[in-house]
Amino acid sequence: MSARTEPDRVAGALLGLAIGDAAGWPSVRHRAHLLPPWTRRLHRELVEFSETEQVTTLPVPFSLNQPTQPLRLGPSDDAEWAAWTARWLLDSAGPITRAGVHAGWRRAALDEALPRGRISVATAADSLRRGIDPPVSGHDNPHHFDDAAAIRAVAIAAAVPDPARAAQVAGWDAEVTNADDGVAAAQVIAETVARLIAGEPLVASWTAAASRLPSNGLLAETTERALAATARAGSPAEAVPALAELVDHVYSYGVAAAQTVPVALALAQVNERSRGAPIDAVTAAVCLPALADSAPALTGALVGAACGADSWPAGWVARCRWLAGCCTGDLAGTDLVKLARQLAAWRGESDS
Amino acid sequence: MRERAQGCLLGLAVGDAMGAPAENMTAAAIAERWGRIDGFLTDEPAGTDDTEYATFSALLLLTHGPDLTSDHVADAWVTHLADRAGFPGAGFSELGTLENLRAGIRPPASGRHLHSWSDGLAMRSAVHGVFAAGEPAEAARLAAVDGAVSHDGEGIHAGVAVAAAVAAAMGGAEPGEIVDHARRAVPADSWTARSLAASVAHAGDTAALLDAVVVSQYPWTDLGPEAIALAFAAFLAAEGEFAAAVPGAVAMGRDADTTAAIAGALAGAHGGLGAVPAAWQALIGPVSGRCLGPVVAGWHPLDLADRLTERAGVSA
Repeated sequence: MSARTEPDRVAGALLGLAIGDAAGWPSVRHRAHLLPPWTRRLHRELVEFSETEQVTTLPVPFSLNQPTQPLRLGPSDDAEWAAWTARWLLDSAGPITRAGVHAGWRRAALDEALPRGRISVATAADSLRRGIDPPVSGHDNPHHFDDAAAIRAVAIAAAVPDPARAAQVAGWDAEVTNADDGVAAAQVIAETVARLIAGEPLVASWTAAASRLPSNGLLAETTERALAATARAGSPAEAVPALAELVDHVYSYGVAAAQTVPVALALAQVNERSRGAPIDAVTAAVCLPALADSAPALTGALVGAACGADSWPAGWVARCRWLAGCCTGDLAGTDLVKLARQLAAWRGESDS
Repeated sequence: MRERAQGCLLGLAVGDAMGAPAENMTAAAIAERWGRIDGFLTDEPAGTDDTEYATFSALLLLTHGPDLTSDHVADAWVTHLADRAGFPGAGFSELGTLENLRAGIRPPASGRHLHSWSDGLAMRSAVHGVFAAGEPAEAARLAAVDGAVSHDGEGIHAGVAVAAAVAAAMGGAEPGEIVDHARRAVPADSWTARSLAASVAHAGDTAALLDAVVVSQYPWTDLGPEAIALAFAAFLAAEGEFAAAVPGAVAMGRDADTTAAIAGALAGAHGGLGAVPAAWQALIGPVSGRCLGPVVAGWHPLDLADRLTERAGVSA
């Protein structure tokens, strides 16, 4: 299952991220933001109704008298953040620097030009607007541990060929919104995806990258448990119950990098071992509802970077290559296949 | 010393009970509902998790004294807390810890969960300051030993700050010095240190303080750095006076039972039991055990304070 060219694997990573993003149940909730707010208010009232009337019929996102297009299968926040990151990379002239990355974020925050994002991103944006700079903006942040930067790191790996350099740039970008495991996750994802795009196998790519993980952190610990728990799984679907044992059910949000990255990595490894179709790894990740906002996207990015764009079913690609603009209207209509081509052509060119 | 220990633990219980009805409310909503806060908000105030967890940690100090280890603490959590069916009043950090301990994960890994920066250690670490009266560094050490079971990073720093401050207050330090001890006990490059700096800068200006330390993009109120900033600011704005410090913390809202409990512990240790208005003292009874069960039920903060003082004297 080795893809032919680097450009194909660049596209495979971006499309995989978008396909996984689309496949999880939260995607349609994000995309529902393209509809007027009252449609979401009615949704909340229907949740309330099911509670007061004690019925098991739960509401789904609906459009009533509005266009249904936003509610159809398609990517949302994670694909848009990857594209937003790809855009600033493509726009950067000259070598990428730490100061330059931070200045770009500061400008976007001050101009209110950031897409709608996770709590970590919103908190960091507020800090930047108050004159609080990275890395404090990512550190003094209640969700410093989330995977927002790990998602962005996929785009960075698609643009920066050298694995160590990709991890470095991902770290500069990550420290704006995250700290500790949140930054480490971004660096490890960047290096792993960069190695995969270069044609290295998954286990070797991850092992090389994972030396960056703080050894006593939750991310390293959970990754070890996830890999051990799925060592004998014959397919991604078979690995789901073992991974479900690792899911945190105490906290109100399921976007911790220490949860989503280990699940994505374990499913990608099982998939590689069992020689499954990439889409099977994504659909397995969707079976962990608490992590369904981003674990499928990260899974798709890893599998797609390894297998290339052609390995994704044509029907999924047709639905998931186009961005809806649900987090920023600026990205509506963006074609990820075209963006991947631009990244592949740009790769490393101005960063030297 | 006994007077200060009693003031601290009773003060913590008063703050907990006074703040409980205002927990998770905004300062504006509290002002609209109760007007100016000058006492308890209900006729039958009751303590919550803050008093019970502080009692739990105090009992560990009575048993182990300065030889307390994180394993002792973990064993006690497993023995007394892990099998309880419900957990009224417990926060994410306590539940995350119990999940880890039940899975066989020991400290410090048991404290590395997604809520490791909560104010859950800060709410119970005043007792380490009572035990290590006048010795902020020792109080900080003991708080970190206890906290390793349930917290990590900023959650530890916030707890350590409270323990060091209470120890300084027990030793007779003035409010400004007390806060200095808290600041010195935490890493300079930490969220907690920056929050404490904001606390000092904005004490007395609630709007500016809330704007500086509250993360408005986050829905929960139990962040350690935020909670101790509010508590220390209330203490400073009141110049250490109990009757103003505790209602001042309550009026700010957010995690009001915890912030008021910490402000009460600081002001009680600073002013001694005599600083706690008699009418408020009279409303505090023994711990009910509603949150933690029989292990803490029946302990009165004043008795606990006496026992801690005795135990500290024996170890000294």
